[in-house]
Amino acid sequence: MASEHIARGYDEELRKLNNTVAEMGGLAESQLGTAIEAVMTRDTELAARVVEGDVKVDQLERDLDNLAIRLLALRQPVARDLREIFSALKIGSDLERIGDYAANVAKRSIALSQTPAVRPVYALPRMAHLAQVLIKDVLDSYVQRDADRAYSVWIRDAELDEMYSSLFRELLTYMMEDPRSIGSCTHLLFMAKNIERIGDHATNIAENLYYLVNGTPLEEVRPKGDISSLEVIEPRGAP
Amino acid sequence: MSLATARQAMPLAPPTPPETHADSAPRLKVLIRDVDFYYGTFKALKNITMPLHDKRVTAFIGPSGCGKSTLLRVLNRIYELYPGQQAAGAVIVDGEDTLAPGVDLNLLRARIGMVFQKPTPFPMSIYDNIAFGIRLYERLPHHELDDRVESALRRAALWDEVKEKLRQSGLGLSGGQQQRLCIARAIAVQPEILLLDEPASALDPLSTQRIEELIAELKADYCIAIVTHNMQQAARSSDYTAFMYLGELIEFDETERIFTRPKQKHTEDYITGRFG
Repeated sequence: MASEHIARGYDEELRKLNNTVAEMGGLAESQLGTAIEAVMTRDTELAARVVEGDVKVDQLERDLDNLAIRLLALRQPVARDLREIFSALKIGSDLERIGDYAANVAKRSIALSQTPAVRPVYALPRMAHLAQVLIKDVLDSYVQRDADRAYSVWIRDAELDEMYSSLFRELLTYMMEDPRSIGSCTHLLFMAKNIERIGDHATNIAENLYYLVNGTPLEEVRPKGDISSLEVIEPRGAP
Repeated sequence: MSLATARQAMPLAPPTPPETHADSAPRLKVLIRDVDFYYGTFKALKNITMPLHDKRVTAFIGPSGCGKSTLLRVLNRIYELYPGQQAAGAVIVDGEDTLAPGVDLNLLRARIGMVFQKPTPFPMSIYDNIAFGIRLYERLPHHELDDRVESALRRAALWDEVKEKLRQSGLGLSGGQQQRLCIARAIAVQPEILLLDEPASALDPLSTQRIEELIAELKADYCIAIVTHNMQQAARSSDYTAFMYLGELIEFDETERIFTRPKQKHTEDYITGRFG
């Protein structure tokens, strides 16, 4: 944060807003980590804890909204202060979505644990690890108000997209080879998609941080690595 | 049909902005160029250069003593009423330097009306408060004078409140009404530029909103400069904002830019309340 306001209560409220964003971010990141652990260890109790834990992320988002509304109403912020509050609101809503995706991964892991393990599941932790790194980096850049570091997160999401596209192809092939795996593989596909979407939310946060620091939007076109929506796989035996 | 009558005749018409409104490109009305100002030996303005655009509102903001009211007082040379005060540089209004010697100050002040922080109605009737200025510059038949008084009071959004008591003293009005009376008095002589020196700072919030609404309407016809301590008022009411500090112009830009991403750290510190 910049130098202090004449009204010290204002600084205190802004600090609380920042702390709430950081707390939400930390929680969303750990929710994702625990969800993946639940997938890999087939631990349904752990998965259930993640699902329950999402309530806490949602509650933090409501706290954040209330803090922001209060600041807007009572302080009539302008310039950097206004961008601080506006960005906190938007980042809060991205973190809430990240929490939802992590909870969904956990929920699917409960179903997945009741079917025989399939090989492509081992690609999931690698994706999740990168998503966690992106969340951590973008949150660190938020705390340090480091737009350059946020920009690097914004660029690196393409890597996550590529991993998703590759897993998408692998899962399709796997399902064609062994139709009994369709149930498990579909859950895995959705989990992978959730993680890919988490990366997109990390880039949204990076964009908001860039705007917060510079006062102008990041207007470049982001490199996209997810080409799965264009993927066509010919059915076996097709002419 | 006068503008005021036309407005009354079409109460349900959508509030379409006049064609002279912000959509059209701004036209330079006043160029303040290299202006210095001295109270005796104290230099209160240092090399100020900035434009004022026609049919736009320009707000001057800055901490007390920064020179914003002084700059306003330079524009209609009202400082000349006081000994030991002098300005240097040029204030070019439609191509003519109004700081040049030989300028008729009465005519200049008719072209450039001013309203002060504290309402200053004359100790006379509401009607005469408005008619007084008109009589100084023009000889009009009674009915025309009546029309001009009514028109000015309507433009200042005061007519409906005072039309039944035009012969009563202007001093009997509320603070907000008195200030609108002063605005009516300023526009009755049909000036080109309106200078408002903290016009709402002594008023309650509702009267303040009326004055701000009035400024938004008057903008269609005048070049307006407003000095205000109320940052939100500057943000709401003006198209351009000048931030001044210790007699210098620190930043001049579109108001939206000043209040979202000012270029100067000093401006940012001031508008966000970090000024210490």
